[in-house]
Amino acid sequence: MAKPAMARETVVALRRQIARIEGSLPERLAQAGGDDGLVLRHGPAARREPGFGTGFLPTGAASFDAALGAGLPPAALVEIHGRQTRDAGAVAGFALCLAALVRRSAPARPDNALCWIGTAEIFREAGLPYAPGLSRFCGLPAGALFLCAPNETGDALWIAEQAARQRAFAAVVLELRGNPARLDLTATRRLHRRAQEAGRSVFLIREAGTAEPTAAPVRIAVSPAPAARRSTVSGPVAASIGHPAFAVTVTKSRAAPAGRLVLEWNPDASSFCEIRPEDSGALVAASGHRPDSSAARGAVVALRPAVAAPAAPGQPSREQRPAHRRARRAR
Amino acid sequence: MHPDVEIVDAQPQADRRLLESLADWCDRYTPLVALDGSDGLFLDITGCAHLFGNEKRMLDDILSRLFHQGFDARAGLGASPGIAWAAARFLSPAIVPPGEEGETLAPLPLAALRIAPAVRAGLESVGLKTAGAIMAAPRAPLARRFGAALLTRLDQALDRAEEAITPRLPVPPLSVERHLAEPVVLADDIERLVGLLAASLRAELERRGEGAHVLQLALFRVDGAMQRLAVGAARPLRDPALIERLFRERLAAFEDRLDAGCGFELVRLSVLKAAPFALEQTDLAGASTAAGEDLALFTDRVRARLGETALLRPVLVESHRPERAAAFVAAEMPEGRDGRARPDNSAPDPAGTVDMADRPIRLFRHPEPVDVVAAEVPEGPPLRFRWRRAVHRVARAEGPERIAAEWWRDPQDMPTRDYFRVEDDDGRRYWLFRQGFYGAAETMPRWFVHGVFA
Repeated sequence: MAKPAMARETVVALRRQIARIEGSLPERLAQAGGDDGLVLRHGPAARREPGFGTGFLPTGAASFDAALGAGLPPAALVEIHGRQTRDAGAVAGFALCLAALVRRSAPARPDNALCWIGTAEIFREAGLPYAPGLSRFCGLPAGALFLCAPNETGDALWIAEQAARQRAFAAVVLELRGNPARLDLTATRRLHRRAQEAGRSVFLIREAGTAEPTAAPVRIAVSPAPAARRSTVSGPVAASIGHPAFAVTVTKSRAAPAGRLVLEWNPDASSFCEIRPEDSGALVAASGHRPDSSAARGAVVALRPAVAAPAAPGQPSREQRPAHRRARRAR
Repeated sequence: MHPDVEIVDAQPQADRRLLESLADWCDRYTPLVALDGSDGLFLDITGCAHLFGNEKRMLDDILSRLFHQGFDARAGLGASPGIAWAAARFLSPAIVPPGEEGETLAPLPLAALRIAPAVRAGLESVGLKTAGAIMAAPRAPLARRFGAALLTRLDQALDRAEEAITPRLPVPPLSVERHLAEPVVLADDIERLVGLLAASLRAELERRGEGAHVLQLALFRVDGAMQRLAVGAARPLRDPALIERLFRERLAAFEDRLDAGCGFELVRLSVLKAAPFALEQTDLAGASTAAGEDLALFTDRVRARLGETALLRPVLVESHRPERAAAFVAAEMPEGRDGRARPDNSAPDPAGTVDMADRPIRLFRHPEPVDVVAAEVPEGPPLRFRWRRAVHRVARAEGPERIAAEWWRDPQDMPTRDYFRVEDDDGRRYWLFRQGFYGAAETMPRWFVHGVFA
């Protein structure tokens, strides 16, 4: 396990060094450190704006920004992968969060619409967008959503290309299932070019598809993650489902080695924040009267005897013993 | 009967289709074509004959082209539909000059008057066997005995009474066509022709201060078949390049169904619906200020290629039933060019302000049944459920949210639903509901998954 990570670290370090020699590292410009800042002048008044004008969209989670370079790349194709079709809720939700960030970054534009294109198959399998939920989840009003559900993948790609060059759409979401033959490197390159030309973001959702060569500068693998509990003034509510969370792995990026992050989306602030595993509600007991899920952590293996000890006569076996009377483990 | 006689069953429907396709073909002579019974066509050639030189040449052209297509056609031309009908059936080919209807009609039998067989038999039984005899007879007794319809028909034939034919298709307000000496076959050539035709339409549209809302391309094939392609525009159009582009998408979608055969010899571009075209001021850089312009063109292109319902938009409906609360409609045509009908993004969302309950981001078209393996308490959320052949263990659940049927809309016995927001072990969040109550009826309540959360 350690060796590939080390090797990747070395590769990334070398790539950074080469880029520094060539002077073509956009994320170097994005990271304004020390005196390397931007000064904005309005007549005689001058203001220092660190990181102004880089174009990268901050997502709110610093580690995710770092993994992406400096944030979400503007005017680019972003691929978002899901492992299974039943993860479609989380995967599409994550794409919509990113689209909401893009929409929020340009509130002055009158036509801040979102175009969601998918094959009829994927909408049948994974469900149609539901406007009341979307307005709450990512602040997308019903009037700002356009939906295309053609039967053929080729038609979906054609619409996506047409939509990607529209300035009226703040973002275009294209959702496809599996690995259709039409979606090859050329198709992604065309989408990426269109997005670059129009200065708009295109999100390509690949449900249950394996990673293929792609022209997208960023590829993100998303899977659902247990949500944190709802927090109130008097502390978190037991067994409640709070803000949605996603397990995110940046599998392709020019900046940083991949790492698994758990991000929480705050629909009210419309920004991400990273949650550490110990903050997560799922890793502690969900409630007292249910099986203790935290007992399944990795440390248990080392403590379990190699041979299962037979239960003493008259005593309940190990499995029958209630969870709350189990011997407490040393942490 | 002769043994070589081939007997074919009558097929009135196929005959009808053939007659309609012939009527389509006759569209090249005049836009006013009407069907006459099961075997005739009326063509109103008012103001069209000069395109062919004169009426005689036009009639010869029609008859010779039909002959080469394998039809044995008869034709008559006259100042009224009645005399033309009689001339086509009894004197073909004949042109009846205006004013000579009486002399022409007089020697013809009663069948030339388009009267009911019973009336004709009655007239013949009293010795009136030609149209001339009817014309000579006093009108009042005829009307009293044989009905007013007889005299109406007679007056119509003699051009004394007005008779209107009913055209099959509405007449386009503006159309431009091109007769080609060399038929075109390739889709590229057709596209280029559309561009040229649209360029000539433009001047006329500018003069009228209008733009085209709906455009139709009629392609007449050498062998008589014709095809029509229509495109709609969200905003009135004039620009030939845009029109050509719309038809390119339409032709691309039609490619496999468009049979060029030996080529198209006549291409016509018609404006089926025109609308006032407001001129717009651009800024000094020449960029258009209308933000909705691009969107309208995008909508047009998608619809031209994939049909009217290719682009959908959600509309919120005031309803408690989740599946009813949001419906999809085809993206509507924006009204005018001032962007009034642009999506109103700034308006507060009724669902966001009134209903603060969490709703899923994706909803299945129909709730999908799930097997609930175990529930904690009868009225509570499930512990495990099986959906699409996979068992999901519920880690946490919120609910129930009880949503009753809408009594003013739904049938009486529509069960109430209890919705639960559940999260499984892997963190997938579902919207489940139980339909009905335990112990309330004989049937066990059923569980469904209705949507997924992010």
